[in-house]
Amino acid sequence: MTETRRLLPVLFAAILAFAAIGVGPYVLDTYSVNVLTRSLLYAAVALTVDLLWGYLGILTFGQSVFFAAGAYAAGLVFTHLDFTTSNAALALLLGILAALAIAAVVGWLAFWHGASALYASVITLVLPIVATQLLYSGGTFTGSSSGLSGFISFDISMEGWFWIAGGFLVSITTLAWLFVQSDAGRLLIAVRENEQRCKYLGLDTSRLKIIVYLVCAVIGAVAGYIYACYAMVVAPELAGFVFGTELVIWTALGGRGTLLGPVFGALIVDYESAQLSGDYPFVWQLIIGTVFVLVIVAFPRGLLPIVVDVPRKLLSMVLRRAPKPPMSVTLSTLDSVGTQGEAPGTGPALVVEDVAKHFGSLTVLAGIDFSARAGELVSLVGPNGAGKTTLMRCIADGSERSAGSIAVNGHDIGRRPPEACVRLGVGRKFQMANVFDTLTVAQCLQIARVRHKRPSLWRRATDLPLPEAAMHVLRTTGLDRQLGTPARLLSHGMKQALELSMVLALEPRVLLLDEPTAGLTKTERMQIGEILTDLTCKQGLCILLVEHDLDFVCEISSRVIVLHQGRIVLDGSVEEVVQSELVKQVYAGSGHAGIEHQAGRSGEVPA
Amino acid sequence: MSVGLVIDKLSSGYAGAMVVRDVTLDLPPGQILAVLGKNGMGKSTLLKAMMGFLPKMAGSVHIAATDATRLAPHRVARLGVGYVAQEKALFQDLTVEENLRLAVRGPDFDRALAEVEESFPFLLQRLKQRAGTLSGGEQKMLLMARSLAVGAKFLLVDEITEGLQPSVIDRLAGVIRDARTRYGTTMLLVEQHLPFALAVADRWAVLERGEVADSGATDERDAATRVRRHLSV
Amino acid sequence: MIAQTLDIVTTAAILYAVATGLLLVFGVMKIINFAHGALMTLGGYAALVTTQMGLNPWLAIPIAALFGGVAGMAIERFVVRPLYSRPLDAILATWGLSIIIGQIITIVFGRGVQFTQAPLEGTMEILGESYSAYRLVLVLIAAALGIALTLLLKGTRLGLETRAVIMNEDLARGLGVNSGLVRFLTFTLGSALAGIAGALITPLSSVDPNMGVPWLVNAFMLVLVSGASLGSLLVSCLVLGGAQVLVSTHFNPVLGGLTIAVLAAVILRIRPQGFARD
Repeated sequence: MTETRRLLPVLFAAILAFAAIGVGPYVLDTYSVNVLTRSLLYAAVALTVDLLWGYLGILTFGQSVFFAAGAYAAGLVFTHLDFTTSNAALALLLGILAALAIAAVVGWLAFWHGASALYASVITLVLPIVATQLLYSGGTFTGSSSGLSGFISFDISMEGWFWIAGGFLVSITTLAWLFVQSDAGRLLIAVRENEQRCKYLGLDTSRLKIIVYLVCAVIGAVAGYIYACYAMVVAPELAGFVFGTELVIWTALGGRGTLLGPVFGALIVDYESAQLSGDYPFVWQLIIGTVFVLVIVAFPRGLLPIVVDVPRKLLSMVLRRAPKPPMSVTLSTLDSVGTQGEAPGTGPALVVEDVAKHFGSLTVLAGIDFSARAGELVSLVGPNGAGKTTLMRCIADGSERSAGSIAVNGHDIGRRPPEACVRLGVGRKFQMANVFDTLTVAQCLQIARVRHKRPSLWRRATDLPLPEAAMHVLRTTGLDRQLGTPARLLSHGMKQALELSMVLALEPRVLLLDEPTAGLTKTERMQIGEILTDLTCKQGLCILLVEHDLDFVCEISSRVIVLHQGRIVLDGSVEEVVQSELVKQVYAGSGHAGIEHQAGRSGEVPA
Repeated sequence: MSVGLVIDKLSSGYAGAMVVRDVTLDLPPGQILAVLGKNGMGKSTLLKAMMGFLPKMAGSVHIAATDATRLAPHRVARLGVGYVAQEKALFQDLTVEENLRLAVRGPDFDRALAEVEESFPFLLQRLKQRAGTLSGGEQKMLLMARSLAVGAKFLLVDEITEGLQPSVIDRLAGVIRDARTRYGTTMLLVEQHLPFALAVADRWAVLERGEVADSGATDERDAATRVRRHLSV
Repeated sequence: MIAQTLDIVTTAAILYAVATGLLLVFGVMKIINFAHGALMTLGGYAALVTTQMGLNPWLAIPIAALFGGVAGMAIERFVVRPLYSRPLDAILATWGLSIIIGQIITIVFGRGVQFTQAPLEGTMEILGESYSAYRLVLVLIAAALGIALTLLLKGTRLGLETRAVIMNEDLARGLGVNSGLVRFLTFTLGSALAGIAGALITPLSSVDPNMGVPWLVNAFMLVLVSGASLGSLLVSCLVLGGAQVLVSTHFNPVLGGLTIAVLAAVILRIRPQGFARD
């Protein structure tokens, strides 16, 4: 499917929507037009909630505050200054700036590297509470609990406002739709699904979250500005968390992560609320509350997907049409000249100097000293608890270690977070296959290439250039024929291969692999072994490998480092390690020096 | 049906990866089986699957003639199974006494304490101490005491000798043999420490990549050699 | 000076009484029960009904506990249990419940503000100051609650199992502890405590269908800052409650209402474990 065929229906739908908006005031009664003007603006804010929650995974109760920022900017300027065109522009600017400032503070609090999802949600809940209280205490300036009213604004007819609100909503929805369907939009889903993997692919997820949050704040502020100009009254409830949670409820009911669901959800529920509020206010709220709880518990995807699925299934049964194939992507290999990753500094690819790691009084690693050159395949072995995975973590994440220094390609990694270490040339493959389950193989690889190829904000790329190393893995394992398969349907071995390709797509100079053969069949293990040897010999990567399968280690390693109780006990060639008495004891005897086995003497345990 | 531990063609693992494949083991009552194998070969996974912590893709587990295949972990424990995990097996912030109490379900705590006193007298002096303040060896003793004080008829033990001094390992071996003599406890010991395993167990089995690669009796003359072959670097 | 100290102590006591139920649920089940405020409101209205029926106002406390506990049982069974693996959704669902409970109360009792009779009227002479007798008694009640809970947790089998589940649920299950039952009982107890807290605070101001909501936010900020320990909850209540009183008296009561939430957010940003020992 080409880009044009994909985008044409969207354009068509947008035109239809604009037409519906245009016709609206002539078809509906005055009361409905009035109510819907407000609902249309609320729907735009609900859209931002879906972007943040449904797509990015941040549950936010505070979008109401940005709406109020735009609204109060208009209200304050038009109340305390006169209404002129330049003041109108000033008010809009102030509203947007206020929203950006608030969003920046919230972003700093809620989206920093160590914040949990719960903490972020809590901050977005505290935000509207703080905002409403500040508005209450603003005295005559903000109008306190009664708000501001009676100010003059644009002289536009009721139909005109309907068209403005409707036009705003349709435009924003169309743009948002193009965005979430694009390559850049898929980043949001990737972050929601597996933020850790994104970080280890070099993506600064905190910055991404803050940027999306800022954009949503601006959309909310503009919606609020239009509202204030239309309604000519602003009240502190606009910033409140009742409104904020209503937005979340509409989004959940409509269907989080569907974009259109929350928009329709907001329109329908807000419109009906206005209609029924007069007659049965409490019963209506009770019904909404009950449906909401039901949806969360039993239908977490929301109501729109259910509503859409039924006719779609019927249609496909009737028309007997095969489901549309996902957009296909063609792979290509990059020239090897450009793919050597970070410019290598002089000297070894990896230098680890006197690294230690403590957890309180527990020492997991101490005195770790070694260096590795390009083209070496170093295996890290040792009993459970020896510190192998901890050491890998320290190399891939500058903030992990307690002491010592690590340099990749001659650059000290300092205290850099994982995404920055990726930029220095480190690629880490996790023990449990760590990919994006809901994305296809091709999409996973695209995410891995984001650092090298900025994704479009509205298009979907049809070609996917990959470095030779990644292509090799894809071809050898047959993944190149499964580009359209969702990752969660892959077998365990294929998932491991996919993750390896993704990491190789980063063009790392130092590759960290944690138990790459875990759970693999014999054939798959052989394939991985060949691939890894190729990578070091032909591509000049430096590979550091944690493994328990000692046969595998002996077959492919050029060097083995043995860890025991957090220290290096041996660092040498495969022969040296196999012959070593110390290693035999470490492995077969739980590390007790001097233990000898006495054959056939049951009932006696050696001293 | 045997009243021991019967594992029949058990397959289990995490997140789609099968770590334990088609494992069949039959322990008559009172037998001690040592499950050996290199790291990452599925030994701990086997125990976790038996306890009900992991989903079972195939096979069954019968404990004392009761089908334990689909039971939740706490129900498996209440069948009389004592489980000693490899990591985080004790509540570090609870006292020794509290750790023991948790394992004793009936009202006979004093009788349980008396049992503990016989095998591990030193623990009685530490009852009010936080378990985390005990030394590594003492903590392992506490683990054994906890399982035995309950009068567990079945013990699943994951690498209890890890990180212990030889003298402490000796004592553990003695405790285990005593328990079998006195209570007839059936035990499945996952171990990396070969001499200990061969000295204490009646039979051995080696797990390689999730499957039982070999097994035999520990009093056979070639037992050690055969096991070593599988464990060697 | 004395009056201010008494204000701080009584405020901390009230916050403690409100937050303990939420803390227990958070510690055992790792979720924030957003219906806590509504359960408090339920308790408040139970107190209202008690006084309207002419019964001894002190009876409001056990009656409120009963209402809260029963509601809690239903909530745990039908709403919280299915959401065991989705903690953020559990927050949303319990918030939805709070809307439902609030609306039912509004339909039954009307939207207006009502007043209950305080079990203890008038003031008492203490340390040379004349201070509200009821507020002082609240300190005793909060202390009694804290002591009772501590005895429950440290001195009973159920308490031991609960602490075990808080520390490591899987390890507890492996030892035969039915963690599902522990969760159910904890949620019921937490809800009963919410009901009691609601009944306790009604004489201080008034009863209306949304009275629990402002307390909810403060309570869960305190819980987040305290981790899973009753001891650090006491510390949080004293420190943050004290800050609230100081800001209210010396600056602005409105800003005072925000102090706990804002301070807690900042503390958690700087030290994610808050006041907990870790």
